[in-house]
Amino acid sequence: MTRNRRQVLKTAGATALLGASAWRPAFAKDKADIVIGAAHPMTGFMSFAGVASNYAMGDYINWRNQSGGVLGHKIRYVGEDSAYKVDQGVAVVKKMIASEKPSFIFLDGSPLSKAVARDVLATGTVMTGGFSSSEALLDQTLYPHHFLSGPTFGATCQILMEYIGRIAKASGNVPKIALVTSDQEWGTESNFHLKARAEKLGLPIVQDIVTKPTGVDVTSEVAKLRRSKPDIVIFQGYIMNPVPEFVRQMREAGINAQVMSTTYGVDRIMYDALAKNGERLTGVMPYRYGYDTDSKMMTTMREYVAKVRPQQESISLFYIHAWLTGMIFCEVAERCIKANKNLTLPNMKAALESIKDWDTGGLTGLLADLSTHQIKSGRVYSYDPASKRMEPASGWIRV
Amino acid sequence: MRTGVFFENYGAEEQLWDSQTAKTMMAVFVVALYLLPLWGSDYMVAMACIVGIHLIAVMGLNITTGSAGLISLSQAAFMGVGCYAVSWFARWGIPFWLALPMAGLLAALIGMVVGLPSLRVKGMYFAIATLAAHFVLSFLFREWTPVTGGPGGVNIPAANFFGIELVGDHRMFYPIYICVLLLGLAAANITRSYVGRAFIAVRDRDISAEILGVNLLRYKVLAFMLGSFYAGVAGGLLGYFYGAITAEYFTFGLSVFYVAAIIVGGLGRVLGSVLGAVFMTFVPESLRLMSSALSGSIPSLANLLLPMGQVVFGILIIIFLIFEPRGLAQMWARVRRAFHLWPFRT
Repeated sequence: MTRNRRQVLKTAGATALLGASAWRPAFAKDKADIVIGAAHPMTGFMSFAGVASNYAMGDYINWRNQSGGVLGHKIRYVGEDSAYKVDQGVAVVKKMIASEKPSFIFLDGSPLSKAVARDVLATGTVMTGGFSSSEALLDQTLYPHHFLSGPTFGATCQILMEYIGRIAKASGNVPKIALVTSDQEWGTESNFHLKARAEKLGLPIVQDIVTKPTGVDVTSEVAKLRRSKPDIVIFQGYIMNPVPEFVRQMREAGINAQVMSTTYGVDRIMYDALAKNGERLTGVMPYRYGYDTDSKMMTTMREYVAKVRPQQESISLFYIHAWLTGMIFCEVAERCIKANKNLTLPNMKAALESIKDWDTGGLTGLLADLSTHQIKSGRVYSYDPASKRMEPASGWIRV
Repeated sequence: MRTGVFFENYGAEEQLWDSQTAKTMMAVFVVALYLLPLWGSDYMVAMACIVGIHLIAVMGLNITTGSAGLISLSQAAFMGVGCYAVSWFARWGIPFWLALPMAGLLAALIGMVVGLPSLRVKGMYFAIATLAAHFVLSFLFREWTPVTGGPGGVNIPAANFFGIELVGDHRMFYPIYICVLLLGLAAANITRSYVGRAFIAVRDRDISAEILGVNLLRYKVLAFMLGSFYAGVAGGLLGYFYGAITAEYFTFGLSVFYVAAIIVGGLGRVLGSVLGAVFMTFVPESLRLMSSALSGSIPSLANLLLPMGQVVFGILIIIFLIFEPRGLAQMWARVRRAFHLWPFRT
């Protein structure tokens, strides 16, 4: 049988097309496991957060594997204890990189994220996320491999200030604001943004108190507040103490200011402690609360926790944060696999930056946009003594 | 076969090595150590680097506290001084081999100021003075943002050795362990010099030392400056090793860690510093690895086993203090003596 030139070209073209579609990176072809590592502060003073985040990552990955993994690839999880110590965290990460070859690593905070940056970048195959919300980690020259699973400290503060500004505009009363911030990164970074946004919105800051994160001499600080008579006191950089004692002494001193905070300062541990003294906390939360019934993913999370750990009383912010980080890791891997690309840092970075209008199952309220390596949205909640929960006080705000 | 070590004069007793065998064994150990990057895993080399940095700081503290008897609770803060100093020296283009001693000298200068009260106060009172210095320096690390980067910390450009970027554990291993060797030899030689004997005289009875002609102010301040110098170099190496550091690293807890290391290892002896630093770094890490391994097979035990590692570590330290207050170095000496005198008993 003879073929004319057109037929030969057609056959060659079809063969080339078939060949190209059959070609897949080695990673995709082998259905290799996707390895997710984590350095959680499971012991030490941050253990309450680390234990929750370890459970969350493990739970999400188990749940995801039961649902088929990432396009048929199983996910393998390796969680270790960093004790929130840089030396131990670095040892954990280095050991993990050498022995487990992870594609993603969850890190316990800013100091560790910065300390391992060079090693992670040197691999060229690892992307990291974690607990920090510091904007320093958004520097694309130093940390192109890192993302935040929520807004920066500054962004949450801007959301809070926007909310105060809107209320002030609606009521016609400009409230006097006092800031009480811790001298750590979370506090100082927030302090700067709170003041900048307040100035922009014309909201007066009448007192600016910076304290240590613990062991604060509350009495002398309350005396300062008494002189400035604020309408709102924003606590930033504290997970719980010394805020309840601070507020108790404020009331004794006749200060009736509204108490506000953001992110880690509006978790259950804080609002419950304040509620015991009859206080109603208001603050910005980057995600829905664990009891929210409007989110499909939150319902899944609750059901899974009830099944595997029925003794767990509630779902903390740290748990949600780590679960969402696990979701982002898997989404990045999925996008790389769909595009027939290996899990290298440039591919994963491109995949991360392509995440726009992504449905997190309602965890973040608005569709998530990770093109800038963070999710810049949140919502103001206020404590409701009737339901004993934080209830929405605003819609979702993107800044 | 050798039985025991006999000294025939004072000079022999002051030699660094008490026998040719000890010298040879040490040489073999040093060579094996320096070959570690060639055969060790990334994790082993990384851990060795971390131990090496802590070892330098511990050796410095052992001069200040172990030899001269000045309890210092500000060693971590002096490390911070060294770390922030190299971040600036590196930005100014000063090569790391010059930046490290400069960082040590800066820390020593600050140490001189902190050490001055040692003439008027001693013991726990002096320890409190150093504690105050720690908090003053920590405050500066957090608040002097233009210099220290504030709570966000600083980034340190990679060390560069004639065009070779010293990035990664394998490349940083050699600068760290060259410093360990040089500073270790220096510490050992200080101990057997007039200066070292003056430190010990000051530690044991300062009034007697002064009657014997030892200038108390000079030697107390010198001991503090030497300790600070070591801490400054260790801090500089730490900065180059991690590439980024925040003020959170230089905590009071780290200073206490170093004090514990010299007590567990053995006061006033270089070997004590080595054993103390190794013990304090590797034992918690080994316990953590064991806990992780066990919790892998029994996941429900993870939350129980991990904190238990810290409890076991604490108990181990207490046991050492009760049964061997002179530290691991003394245990090592007993083991050596048992071998030397075998089959006789000590």
